[in-house]
Amino acid sequence: MRKTWTTGLALALPLALAACGGSAPAGTDRADGGQSGGTIKIGSLHPLSGAAAADGQQMDNGAKLAVEAINNAGGIKSQGGAKLELLSADTQGKPEVGQSEAQRLIQAGAVGLVGTYQSAVTANVSTVAERNKVPLVIDVSSADSILAQGYKFTFRVQPSSTVLGTQGAQFLDEVAKAAGRPAKQVAIFHEQGPFGSAIRDAFKAEAEKRGMKIGPVISYDSASVSDLTTQMTTVKASGADVLMVSGYYRDGVLVAQAADTVKPGLDAVFGVANGAFDLPQFPKEVGAAGEGYFDANYHPDMTKPETQALAKLYQERYGDEIRTGAVLAYDAVRVIADALERAGSAEPEKVRDAIATVELDTLIAGDGPIKFGPTGENENATPILMQVRDGKVKQVFPADKAETAPVYPAGR
Amino acid sequence: MTQTPDRAHAVAGNGGGVVSGDLDDELEPGGEPAPRAPLLRRVPWLRVAIVVGLVVAGIALAYLRSGSGVVVMQAVATGVLIGGVYGLVAMGLTLIFGVLDIVNFAHGSFLALALFLTFWLVNGHGVHPYLALAVSVPAMFLLGMLVQRGVLSGAMGKPLENQLLITLGLSLIIENALLLFFGANPRSVALPGDRGVPILGAVADLSRVLAFVGALLLAGLLFLLLQRTRLGTAIRAVAANDVGAQLAGIDTRLIYAVTFAIGTACAGAAGTLVAPLVTIEPTTGALFNIIAFVVVVLGGMGNVVGALLGGLIVGLAEQLGGLYLPGQSPLLSVFIVFVLVLFLRPQGLFRRAA
Repeated sequence: MRKTWTTGLALALPLALAACGGSAPAGTDRADGGQSGGTIKIGSLHPLSGAAAADGQQMDNGAKLAVEAINNAGGIKSQGGAKLELLSADTQGKPEVGQSEAQRLIQAGAVGLVGTYQSAVTANVSTVAERNKVPLVIDVSSADSILAQGYKFTFRVQPSSTVLGTQGAQFLDEVAKAAGRPAKQVAIFHEQGPFGSAIRDAFKAEAEKRGMKIGPVISYDSASVSDLTTQMTTVKASGADVLMVSGYYRDGVLVAQAADTVKPGLDAVFGVANGAFDLPQFPKEVGAAGEGYFDANYHPDMTKPETQALAKLYQERYGDEIRTGAVLAYDAVRVIADALERAGSAEPEKVRDAIATVELDTLIAGDGPIKFGPTGENENATPILMQVRDGKVKQVFPADKAETAPVYPAGR
Repeated sequence: MTQTPDRAHAVAGNGGGVVSGDLDDELEPGGEPAPRAPLLRRVPWLRVAIVVGLVVAGIALAYLRSGSGVVVMQAVATGVLIGGVYGLVAMGLTLIFGVLDIVNFAHGSFLALALFLTFWLVNGHGVHPYLALAVSVPAMFLLGMLVQRGVLSGAMGKPLENQLLITLGLSLIIENALLLFFGANPRSVALPGDRGVPILGAVADLSRVLAFVGALLLAGLLFLLLQRTRLGTAIRAVAANDVGAQLAGIDTRLIYAVTFAIGTACAGAAGTLVAPLVTIEPTTGALFNIIAFVVVVLGGMGNVVGALLGGLIVGLAEQLGGLYLPGQSPLLSVFIVFVLVLFLRPQGLFRRAA
């Protein structure tokens, strides 16, 4: 009987993986230049199924809207009004699938790629892009390591983990001090992957420099965690006055539920690059439990009319509120289109050179236009601070990006 | 004509499973049932004492490690509450394995289906989350019946891989159908009047306490069904020796279908009970699937009460482990316990060595 089970598991696990695995058909050699019949192909690689499907589908939709907007405005004018065509692929959130799908899109003639959401997937896709000399513009994936390889064909629109963590600590310090309640002890919850750990390190370094005490630091596995009540009780027992949280959506909801149950007596729950606290779905799901939550994160600049128009269009087209990822994917496609326009050619290497000198207004709140540094980081990318207010996510800090003033302490 | 698959299964499944509501199995595969001793005598007291002792030692260690009574109390309360739910999910799985010899990979997806059914009833029709049980349990029972008769019966007695692939395929179909019809946006079900309930210095959401109580009640019902009814006796007979059961005039085809349906209904009940606790996504069921398999093996395959106790142990291991090994996946401590049990008692905690 036991043998049955062991064989069963041994058989089933690889099967489970294989069943979800590579679906890339063997392609032909890449059509050089990628131009066929006056269209230029751009590849969009996102997790359209699996645990991150909600974000992945939003991002793919964002890329589609960008292509549509560019085509409606006359396509790539320097190339005789050539139209863009978006090739969408599903990474399933798996590095190996992302890799084979990237290869497939390049073979199908994509002259540029955008993607991919999960850092581990992006790391593999960036290797494929580098090997094939096709530019990859990262919309979402914050791990510093991706751009630390010296790759020439990878660019990132969103801020890196270091920028996010450091700025997050600054925002907390400034907002708390302005309210006359400086944060003394900050507890940290973070997801245990490269994303959460990198944010933790950057946040901790900056916060300690500013005289805050850090602890306890608790990490968890975002894929399997089912409850954070015990961890929240640990925070309560430690006497911390602020809780910093860096993670994804489902675990963010668990944090809010645990805080609502335990009542840890915090001045604020402060997300840094949190995948839940700045999403419109979050206050809907947790209700009053999420009121007053902060999140220091890259975010669409809702004070801009273009962003508002895009949000409205998205709502009409897809019946859903737009998320940050979709706006970033929108911008990433625009970066490639702008480069195609200026390069006057759809040769991937020329497109890459044009991307390196891009200077493009963005719909994301930042310090200025999208502009890539020598490593491919967007030099003007920065987070802003948001807060859940009356069931809506509002921009509250810094003052020039604020829709309303922050409320601090936002007691828990 | 219709006899053929059953005979095939009867032959192949000769050393078939055992389903038991007792803590220890009295019926051995193909063996003679032991004389029926009073219930108290049939409980393996020594083993229970050892397990309880280890749990107490684990709690004491957690206290030394964290130095805060409240935190440990919270971990124990949360662990026990979530453990009851794990147990309920695993009961259905263990029942199906014990009787049909099928490793059902679609169990988590059935749970996800029940989650979405509950969501649809609550948010679309204003039904109270727990009243949704009245729909989700019968609906999942019927679905289980249909799946067993329509898809799985042909694979009975065939090589194990056939059934594995079928259930795996089912789980992929259900998961992606949910993605297609409901979309990937996370959803939730709110329990009216949900609040924190104090438990000896710790707190827990009312919804968690109710889910735990519900799990215990359903476990009790299942236990009574298996031990005290003709149907339960028939199920146990088929599990012990399906050829023998067939010779004694039991319609094994019916028992297979009913057992699979009961197992699926357990997943349905669990889905509705946990709906207020979890974020509802097409992939939510997969979270419970891994844990349920661990619980089944831990508690002894085919042992329903063992599954409930295994669930409690896994819940406690998950929460207390978080205190010993901060920063690790909750599954790490679960698998440490799991590997230890497999090493020391490969037949599971509450199952006699064959």
